[in-house]
Amino acid sequence: MNVEEVEKEVTSIVAEVTELERDEIWNKRDADFFKELEIDSLLALEILALIEKKFKIQIPEEKLVDITSLTATINMTKEVLAESGRLQEA
Amino acid sequence: MIMDFEEVKELVPQRYPFLFIDKVVELEEGKRIVCLKNVSGNEPFFAGHFPEFAIMPGVLTLEALAQASIILFKKSFKKDDDSNAVFLLTSVKASFVKPVFPGDQLFLEIEIEKVISKAAIVKGIARVGEDTVAKTTLTFATADRATLGKG
Repeated sequence: MNVEEVEKEVTSIVAEVTELERDEIWNKRDADFFKELEIDSLLALEILALIEKKFKIQIPEEKLVDITSLTATINMTKEVLAESGRLQEA
Repeated sequence: MIMDFEEVKELVPQRYPFLFIDKVVELEEGKRIVCLKNVSGNEPFFAGHFPEFAIMPGVLTLEALAQASIILFKKSFKKDDDSNAVFLLTSVKASFVKPVFPGDQLFLEIEIEKVISKAAIVKGIARVGEDTVAKTTLTFATADRATLGKG
């Protein structure tokens, strides 16, 4: 798994959950999920569950608070993958 | 059979005419459950849905799946102080594949997808015989009854 694949897959997942186009959510990747994109904590949980499934990883509950923007979500996913030794550095 | 109707009533707060589980037939705590609802021609909702064409409302199949989830959660994650905890269905994705008619035996299967301390996501399938009649993904949150607004 490389960094680009993580960015691509996480963007797709967030696009699916927010019902936004991929390009649109990517352009808003630093936008605050809660204040700007109407994502609530339960949608954040949905994102977390989909990431777990896609990458076949376990994400601890404490990481839920890191799901605050697309960029933050991508970084959190990279971190968890790196911890399990599954992220190839670009 | 894992749990009979009396045991179901100890866990599910819903009552007639809104209790849609007759018994629990399979249970793997923390993982999955299968419940049974026998759909009778006498169900009160058939009086209105529809007077000349009895068909079980799809939303009630979802309610039945949600009630199966409540049993699974209560059996899997026991808490001493949960008497005030209520389950709130916060998000539903569903597709209805086939209609459900009087006389059908509705098997309600729930599998846990993700659980955190105050919320969960489950996948549900309702079957009649071998046929899938509905598929769903349900998201639940738990809340304290006292904190829910009444206004």
